[in-house]
Amino acid sequence: MDANGATTSSAAGGGSNSKSSAKKNSRKPKYSRFTQQELPACKPVLTPGLVITTFTIIGIIFIPLGLVSLSASEHVVEIVDRYDDSCVPPNYSNDKLKFIQTADTNKSCVRILSVPKLMKKPIYIYYQLDNYYQNHRRYVKSRSDQQLRSKSGEKDVSDCSPEDRTKNGPIVPCGLVAWSLFNDTYGFSLDSKTIRVNKHDIAWKSDKDHKFGNDVYPKNFQTGGLIGGAKLNSSLPLSEQEALMVWMRTAALPTFRKLYGKIEEDLPANKKIQVVIQNNYNTYSFGGKKKLVLSTTSWMGGKNDFLGIAYIVVGGLCLFLAVFFILLYVIKPRPLGDPSYLSWNKSPSGQPN
Amino acid sequence: MDSESIETFYSAESALSSSSRRSNFSIRSKASGRNSIREVNFGDLGSKAVRYGSRGADSETYSLNMSQKEINDEDARLVHINDPVQTNERFEFSGNSIRTGKYSILTFLPRNLFEQFHRVAYIYFLVIAVLNQLPQLAVFGRGVSILPLAFVLLVTAVKDAYEDYRRHRSDRIENNRLASVLVNDQFQQKKWKNIEVGEIIKIYANETIPCDMVLFSTSDPTGVAYVQTINLDGESNLKTRYAKQETLVKIPEKDKLDGLIKCEKPNRNIYGFQANMEVDGKRLSLGPSNIILRGCELKNTAWAVGVAVYAGRETKVMLNSSGAPSKRSRLETHMNLEIIFLSLFLIALCTVVSVCAAVWLRRHRDELDYLPFYRRKNFSDDGEENYNYSGWGLEICFTFLMSVIVFQVMIPISLYISMELVRVGQAYFMVRDTQMYDESSNSRFQCRALNINEDLGQIKYVFSDKTGTLTENKMEFQCASIWGVDYSGGKAISLDQKDGYFVKVDGKVLRPKMKVKTDPELLQLARNGKETEEGSHVHDFFLALAACNTIVPLIIDSHDPNVKLIDYQGESPDEQALVYAAASYGFMLIERTSGHIMIDIQGERRRFNVLGLHEFDSDRKRMSVILGFPDKSVKVFVKGADTSMFSVVDRYMNKNVIRTTEAHLYSYSSLGLRTLVVGMRDLSTSEFEEWHSAFEVASTALMGRASLLRKVASNIENNLCILGASGIEDKLQQGVPEAIESLRTAGIKVWVLTGDKQETAISIGYSSKLLTSKMTQIIINSRSKESCRKSLEDAVIMSKKLTTISDTTNDTGGTSRAGLTPAALIIDGTSLVYILDSELEESLFQLACDCSVVLCCRVAPLQKAGIVALVKKRTADMTLAIGDGANDVSMIQMADVGVGISGQEGRQAVMASDFAMGQFRFLVPLLLVHGHWNYQRMGYMVLYNFYRNAVFVLVLFWYVLFTCFSLTTAITEWSSVLYSIIYTSLPTIVIGILDKDLSRRSLLKYPQLYGAGQRQECYNKKLFWITMIDTLWQSAVAFFIPLLAYWSSTIDASSIGDLWTLAVVILVNLHLAMDVMRWNWLTHAAIWGSIIATFICVIIIDSLPFLVGYWAIFEIAKTGLFWLCLLAIIVAALIPRFVVKVLYQLYVPSDVQIVRETEKFQTQTESGAVEIELSSILDTPRR
Repeated sequence: MDANGATTSSAAGGGSNSKSSAKKNSRKPKYSRFTQQELPACKPVLTPGLVITTFTIIGIIFIPLGLVSLSASEHVVEIVDRYDDSCVPPNYSNDKLKFIQTADTNKSCVRILSVPKLMKKPIYIYYQLDNYYQNHRRYVKSRSDQQLRSKSGEKDVSDCSPEDRTKNGPIVPCGLVAWSLFNDTYGFSLDSKTIRVNKHDIAWKSDKDHKFGNDVYPKNFQTGGLIGGAKLNSSLPLSEQEALMVWMRTAALPTFRKLYGKIEEDLPANKKIQVVIQNNYNTYSFGGKKKLVLSTTSWMGGKNDFLGIAYIVVGGLCLFLAVFFILLYVIKPRPLGDPSYLSWNKSPSGQPN
Repeated sequence: MDSESIETFYSAESALSSSSRRSNFSIRSKASGRNSIREVNFGDLGSKAVRYGSRGADSETYSLNMSQKEINDEDARLVHINDPVQTNERFEFSGNSIRTGKYSILTFLPRNLFEQFHRVAYIYFLVIAVLNQLPQLAVFGRGVSILPLAFVLLVTAVKDAYEDYRRHRSDRIENNRLASVLVNDQFQQKKWKNIEVGEIIKIYANETIPCDMVLFSTSDPTGVAYVQTINLDGESNLKTRYAKQETLVKIPEKDKLDGLIKCEKPNRNIYGFQANMEVDGKRLSLGPSNIILRGCELKNTAWAVGVAVYAGRETKVMLNSSGAPSKRSRLETHMNLEIIFLSLFLIALCTVVSVCAAVWLRRHRDELDYLPFYRRKNFSDDGEENYNYSGWGLEICFTFLMSVIVFQVMIPISLYISMELVRVGQAYFMVRDTQMYDESSNSRFQCRALNINEDLGQIKYVFSDKTGTLTENKMEFQCASIWGVDYSGGKAISLDQKDGYFVKVDGKVLRPKMKVKTDPELLQLARNGKETEEGSHVHDFFLALAACNTIVPLIIDSHDPNVKLIDYQGESPDEQALVYAAASYGFMLIERTSGHIMIDIQGERRRFNVLGLHEFDSDRKRMSVILGFPDKSVKVFVKGADTSMFSVVDRYMNKNVIRTTEAHLYSYSSLGLRTLVVGMRDLSTSEFEEWHSAFEVASTALMGRASLLRKVASNIENNLCILGASGIEDKLQQGVPEAIESLRTAGIKVWVLTGDKQETAISIGYSSKLLTSKMTQIIINSRSKESCRKSLEDAVIMSKKLTTISDTTNDTGGTSRAGLTPAALIIDGTSLVYILDSELEESLFQLACDCSVVLCCRVAPLQKAGIVALVKKRTADMTLAIGDGANDVSMIQMADVGVGISGQEGRQAVMASDFAMGQFRFLVPLLLVHGHWNYQRMGYMVLYNFYRNAVFVLVLFWYVLFTCFSLTTAITEWSSVLYSIIYTSLPTIVIGILDKDLSRRSLLKYPQLYGAGQRQECYNKKLFWITMIDTLWQSAVAFFIPLLAYWSSTIDASSIGDLWTLAVVILVNLHLAMDVMRWNWLTHAAIWGSIIATFICVIIIDSLPFLVGYWAIFEIAKTGLFWLCLLAIIVAALIPRFVVKVLYQLYVPSDVQIVRETEKFQTQTESGAVEIELSSILDTPRR
């Protein structure tokens, strides 16, 4: 009895041993949902309902968005005045280049702007340049961000040629971008009362805090053979030269605006504003246009109808597509997942049977 | 004349003897009528598989006929036995240390870089990076431009270094193993790496052999040693090797051993060796059976002593360690065309930019000096020099080159790397598929080639071997015809013989390992002994079965200590089956040495002297053994294929027996059985003496030994008295009929190419459902070129007729399915001799295409490759060859995709294959499921990668048009580089590995879905162009919406650049998301993760104060316009694609689409039925 039990148990043990060793040796891949590519998954199928709903929802969202943007754009009051041609005296009108390059010509020029609608403060003053490629490769590369940041980078002018150094040492700020700093100035007066223009806080705060160092002072700037634009007050550190910062944020497109300052009072409608422009900046050599822009702002920036129209068009298109698909499904429906549409279930004549 | 040449083409499928595979390994066949000699070189996997033309004299040619050549002195290596100093004096033989590692620490960098730059893509990378280093052309910063190349090189280098480290480590372990080497007349332990050629080495049981060595003596008195060659060729059965009688008696420690071995130069042929040895003034010849190779293990032999002849890297195993041949996938070939187109497009873009730049420069040539944003003149110094300007012409050139640098990602270099990663992922899933795991052989699916995964989804033709592929190659003795009497009643195993036959030795029971069903009547006859005439024939028959073979009996322990099992080890499964059968009938082979065999006949041990053995060769197609009986009589037993046997049978003796045996043979083969005929003859003393002297001469001959031996064999194998024939069943593998049915439904043509007889082939065709009774069989069985031509013409007419008939029934009935022409072509190897490589090929191809089934029987290995080539040359369709034996190697290498079955026969097929698996039926999940997925995924991924990179390049291009064509990029250079590395690379790889258009179940339920790959639905010219048009639209939307929205605003380049970066990245990721068919958590993570990663990267880049775009993203993200732009871009860009997609799915739904919908809406209702249907193919139950 005992012996019997012992043999059976040992046999059983042996059996399980051999079994487990077989299991150990087995190269059978372990089953998991991952290795068998059976992970739980969502399988979207473009059902008519889904398609129509998608288009409808897009339409419903887009059209109001478009209307809101359009109205925002409509509420922006904008005065644009192109002055590059008109600010050249008639005797120079055939040789504008000479006018702008001659140092002793009177560059002052008076423009009258009329306010079409009440302009609520703050009113932003921009200058707009057309056909000015601030994004040209030679131009954008010609700067030294190291130099702008701190005094220690002063000699880092390797990228700045041709405006890299003078006989007196490196130019700070170096490079074509700084060299060509815009130097027209505007003075505004309403009813012969000067309007204060706030030229602070026109640059990004980040630029003032980190990008332009407060220990970097202009040096040897605009002392080379050719004067490109504005001079800088060499007693102010770069971190306070906001016009420079604005200019150094090179524009993305050949037609661009740069913030000049802010007017922090409302301008009543139908009033005339007198602007005295010092027309110094040379755009005449390449046919660039200069414009002065006064604009209020909305939540989506300046006056631009494009996006509003685009939204309405896309939204309208989506609604149209929704209707189109509803009609299609009504006129020529195809039952989804009907095996009789499978190519091998169709007879040669093309009729599903 | 004809029949003689035909013999050479008979494949060794019906082979019997041990050397069957050996002979298959290299077959020289002379085609009659033409004097050219063709040669197949199977062993040399690295080089071209099939060579035509006359035979070269290179030493790597593996030919049976090697022995015909005398070894010239300059071709030979001389090994002075036990004198390594003298041996290595004049010749520089390599030592035994091996180095599989490719690099050393010093050579790693240059060699690894050199190897990596073999890829054209990397050279392109490098050229671009070098261009960018020129100051004139520096578009990107130096570091940035090197980054992608450095990244890729680094990843690959780390991978290579790791692999090499592992190789070095295993080399070190291998080199430091110990072996006993004779030094100063004593065996001492010596490290493997210090072993030199010429030294005498002693190996003990279960030890691995350190180098290739010639056997001297073994523990067996007859000089037999058994080796296992599993490391060499994967065959687990034991092989016998022999020491020469002359050296056997010497004891290395005492008898001063010396002598000279003259052997051939090292070569890769593991089945060939030729040498001669001078010992004691006698010259002995050595052959492949006298050498044991490195990597083998000594088994069942206490010790063996040998002399090293090849060491280290000159050993055969090291010479054979080369990878699988590399193939390139069809999709990749197509893709390369599109890449050429993309290159042209890139050149066009660059030309546009440079022409525009030229015009601009010309028009503004007067203003350039003073333009504030150009400033050609440098005024700061004294001289007014041109600054960074090299003249109009050069500037244009520079512009062109710079635009190539900026637009470089147009050529999706990352695609190559992604494709490799995706293939690795796909291979991982194929290997891990539990439904392609073979329980019986414990083998997983193997992916040996990593670059043709997607070809599996486009197969149109499957060429299958029969034996071992469709069938199990587990031979089972079924019936015998002895002396004209058919014994085939062995179907039922009665209870009393459940344990089978056994004998008792020393109180222990000895029993064959495998049980064979026996015919009770025959069993009775065998037990009765040879009193009756009938009994005597039965006795002779089974004696022949037990003796006439090269099987080695091994006695192994079983669970019960009182029972020992006899395991018959041999190279031919047919022989094993016969010996097991003989054992079951009481003729148990118990011991075999080179000199004698011990057979237990009905409990009585008998010892027979083996006086001679003529091994099987493919010319004779038979083997014979000459036995000396205890009563001093001598008999020759011969066993062989029926065709070859009936030609040597004495036709005038026992005519009736011959006739009935022939009839039985016919009925056996029509049952699908493999047949062998056994004959014998008594030898008179004079005959024996004559034979013996001839045999001695032939076996020591140095010139043409093989043909001399063959002649000796033919002289003795004649005038035989026929004993009978055996029928062995080669069972069909599980699930083969269902698998073939599935493949055929999937539109794949299955051709079976077999070396078997026509009747056998047809019967297997029926049982595997390849042939049905509805089919009309067209049989071409001709013996001359003219008759071939005629039968081909007839057959073509016939098949035409069949086609038209089936067409008309279609028109009238309307119910029968189109394209089903019930015709089957059955053609034999003899006819193929005349057809292949002649003008008849074309009509054969036409005919074969019209037939739904093609069965080729009696084909030689080379012909198999020829048939594959016949199809491959004439169609663009993909071919797949599947086989398991050495005779399938040529076919596997010829086909677009080669699949090896790791089954009973050796490993050569697996070694040559691209994929290897355990069972034929795995072809169904492999092709229909994994092939379909791989193809769909890869096709989509390639298109998507083209799109993804082109969108980005086009956005850059549009911007260039607004920067005076000066190649400024608003998108930061870091983002340009990271775009294809981080921003968008991961989702496409994840989708390429994980996305599934359909579930496994649907794909198996509707095999027709496989047609999507055959019709190239996922990747074709049309799709490419549609994608490119879509790309154009999407890039335009992504670029122009911000452009118009921000026109004449204060926007700066960095901010709008960030907007474009994010817009493009979100766009391409959502585009991908729109096409994802199965969202699992990994897909979600990859797609949304990439978008988030992009935001993070952009934020990080914009937080670096030394970069121009410092803080830009924060400034622009504060404005509502930015978010409105993003939303508008994404919606407007994707609408056209979405609409087209919906319309396509609604009105031109692909089959895949319909089944996807079915899957979505009707899964629950039908799943149960499908389970049952598929269970025969997929034996593993679903969980």
